Amino acid sequence: MIQRREFNKLAALAAASAAAQARAQQSSPAPKPATNDGITWDKAPCRFCGTGCHVRVGVKNDRVVAIEGDQLAEVNKGLLCVKGYHVGLALYGKDRLTQPLLRRNGVLEPISWEEAIETISQKIMAAPEQFAIYGSGQWTIPEGYAANKFIKGGLGSNHIDPNARLCMASAVTGFLSVYGVDEPAGCYDDLDKCDVLIMWGNNMAEMHPVLFSRVMDRRTRGEKVTIIDLGTRRTRTTEFSDHYLEFRPHSDLAIMNGIAHLLIKQNAFDPKFVERFCNFRKAPKDPLATPSAPLHGDAMSFEDYKAALEPYTPELVEKLSGVPAEQIRMLAGLFANKDIRITSTWCMGFNQHSRGTNANRLCHGIHLLSGHFGRPGDAPTSLTGQPSACGTAREVGTMCHFLPGGRLILNPEHRKETETIWNVPEGRINPKIGHHTVLMWEKFCTPADKGGDIRTLWVQVTNPGQSLPNLHKLFKAKAGQPDKFLIVSDVYRTATTELADLVLPSAMWVEKNGMFGNSERRTQQWFRMVKPPGDARDDAWQMIAVARRLHDLGHAGMKDKDGRFLFTLKNDKGEEVPVWEWPRYYDMNVDKALFEEYRAFSRYKHKDLAPYDEYVKARGLRWPVVQQQDGTWRETKFRFSEFDDPYVKKGAEIQFYHSVTKDDKALIWFAPAEKAAEEPDADFPFWLCTGRVLEHWHTGSMTRRIPQLHAAMPHSYVEMHPEDARERGLANGETIVVKTRRGELRLPVWIDGRGHPPRGSLFIPFFDERLMCNDLTLGEVDPISKEPDYKKCAATVARASSAP
Amino acid sequence: MSAALSRRGFFAAFRQPFERRVAPAAAPVVKREEAADVAKVAIVQGRFCIALTSFCSACVERCPVSGAMKKERGMPMVVADICTGCGICHDVCPAPRNAVLMLPRRPSLTPQPT
Repeated sequence: MIQRREFNKLAALAAASAAAQARAQQSSPAPKPATNDGITWDKAPCRFCGTGCHVRVGVKNDRVVAIEGDQLAEVNKGLLCVKGYHVGLALYGKDRLTQPLLRRNGVLEPISWEEAIETISQKIMAAPEQFAIYGSGQWTIPEGYAANKFIKGGLGSNHIDPNARLCMASAVTGFLSVYGVDEPAGCYDDLDKCDVLIMWGNNMAEMHPVLFSRVMDRRTRGEKVTIIDLGTRRTRTTEFSDHYLEFRPHSDLAIMNGIAHLLIKQNAFDPKFVERFCNFRKAPKDPLATPSAPLHGDAMSFEDYKAALEPYTPELVEKLSGVPAEQIRMLAGLFANKDIRITSTWCMGFNQHSRGTNANRLCHGIHLLSGHFGRPGDAPTSLTGQPSACGTAREVGTMCHFLPGGRLILNPEHRKETETIWNVPEGRINPKIGHHTVLMWEKFCTPADKGGDIRTLWVQVTNPGQSLPNLHKLFKAKAGQPDKFLIVSDVYRTATTELADLVLPSAMWVEKNGMFGNSERRTQQWFRMVKPPGDARDDAWQMIAVARRLHDLGHAGMKDKDGRFLFTLKNDKGEEVPVWEWPRYYDMNVDKALFEEYRAFSRYKHKDLAPYDEYVKARGLRWPVVQQQDGTWRETKFRFSEFDDPYVKKGAEIQFYHSVTKDDKALIWFAPAEKAAEEPDADFPFWLCTGRVLEHWHTGSMTRRIPQLHAAMPHSYVEMHPEDARERGLANGETIVVKTRRGELRLPVWIDGRGHPPRGSLFIPFFDERLMCNDLTLGEVDPISKEPDYKKCAATVARASSAP
Repeated sequence: MSAALSRRGFFAAFRQPFERRVAPAAAPVVKREEAADVAKVAIVQGRFCIALTSFCSACVERCPVSGAMKKERGMPMVVADICTGCGICHDVCPAPRNAVLMLPRRPSLTPQPT
């Protein structure tokens, strides 16, 4: 086999052109020596998904010219996927935004940064309470922290939410309501140790390819690992699986109840584990009784739990899900076997689900009930789609109901602690939670006189004009409302900038310092390696510059208790640097200053972060990172397990130290199988599912500009079963019309293509901005997590020629 | 719905020019060989193929000739006797170093008349 290093270097060199620019002002403390070929190498996590692979970035003449997998990174061990190999080219699309643009008479015209900052500041000053920030799980940790502090600690408003609401909010409510604290207990090491890997509606081979390669690699070394794919269509992952269980959309709840039913019926659960470490819960009678009622639920005895599961016999589950009773018994048999180790993974299949919180709970539940928890390889683990959904959205708490470090807006103690760390006057933080994503966009798209109380909305690092569900209602309705002002910070023009009133050009990835937090609690750091193009600037700078302008305009919230500006930042020598002036921004490491301030928040939920400089040395560290007696910092792989987690009491074996019930026990929930919000009927006889493809990352704003990836997957399509196509006389490649109650879309049908939906089922990827499937989606939200369901709605198809 | 028509029809749809926001220069350069005098055949160089260590099947999916490409344990393979040498697999290969070589078809590769 060719040396991977050589392979990648050659390749990337060939791919990148040699446009020379002035050398960037390096901010790394120790400039890296250039190799013989004049290339300087440094480390960075990949810009794309939540796996968190590390790459080595080769820079020459202020341009990224080479990418290779980082051998030192535990996550990917030198390996990359097809997107990762080309990540450097995401910077070099021909149409990078390089100057601020203001819409005048319908046209985006160049303006200066001073005008842009002034415009935003005036809009905010006019009505601070009607201003909102829509951020991202692609924000770096310091960027998210700056935005969070600016709006919650400065403007006294909680109208901030990230796109992560569309992505992992149900995983958060799942973890919180089971363990009392967010994020997985296990980590990727479980994939190396498990005997059985169950993927619940999770196409890992395409969405987290490097993780799936890690599992495949075990097979090639002769290890036995049983791979089970539970899904609603055959995917690339299915090809490599030992078992494929195809279920009717939304019936995953029934399947998990069926497993729990059998474990109890056959007395095959783990009574010792359950008695020592678990309590039982069901949905509260009155979910509105207290704000935390939906997360805490009502107590339930084991007998009640047993009775509630009674109806879920394998035969009933077969009827509900279409999965043969035999296979339900097979799954239960695996969970009943304590000698094997089972890892469950899931991603959008559970999360983008109108009962997403319950799906997450039930999966944790069968692991807890059977005692398949707390040993390496025995873990229920959610995977994230964005590089810092965990690090920024969840841990920094850039959501409308969170404060940093797992704190809650609604908890007066938490507000007080936050105000203390931020050194702002008591009462500065608004006690009312803000608008979550769907509500925020609904309010933005609704005229002010009809209750639309968001007037100015600032979007950073995300593309809601393509990724929101039901776009006609939640995004496109903004058009023609002159009093609504949309600000978009991005690197390319997108579907979102189409309706933007002000567009700000941003620096991306290695054009700025950054930190991400991946799916397995791993916090990662990188330095700026090249200069951004034209007048593009860091997102965090944009936020701080606006804060400073508001300060100068006399907004009281921009000062702390002692009258100092909210973002008074000091360099390593303790000198204040006016970082709101762009030429001074890289005179110090702003990331380090913001991160060190943020670190103080991380202890409360035992998500301890190490000092910034530890992350400079490492390829990421998994929290809690705890300092040891010899002064070194140690990461934690397996949370709540005595053998690895320093916060577990000696002799406890397993301790859920943030337990909802305050008795160190986790909660096993009962949740009923329910119908989807919209199911196929006579008028709309198909299920419509949407999702991603291997080559493109989310809305494709970066990957579609990478020639290799675009050539490999240039166009969106709809997958359909050959029989369904034959009945309707549709030929492969023919343009057809897919229609739902929200809208319609014309696109080619792909029969027996990459994915294979069962009869009565369609799949459309969402990467293609010319063919936006979110014109069709329903987006019914989970009542607890407020995350929309993108995976299920009812649709119909017709030949394009015969469509009205 | 004939197989040949369907596959070609589908890929024709894929080959529509890249529109609007992305400058034409950023669109993939899909070079079609001029009607070549020499017949060609594709060969996948496994060591450059993404499927060797990760997952990819762009070439197999987009091959317009039924049976000319297949996957063996995840790796794409060209069936030389069926391959028409159209070069689409080469054009769509996303590997950092293109894994598909287009070679002149040598007489030994074609069935010998008996």
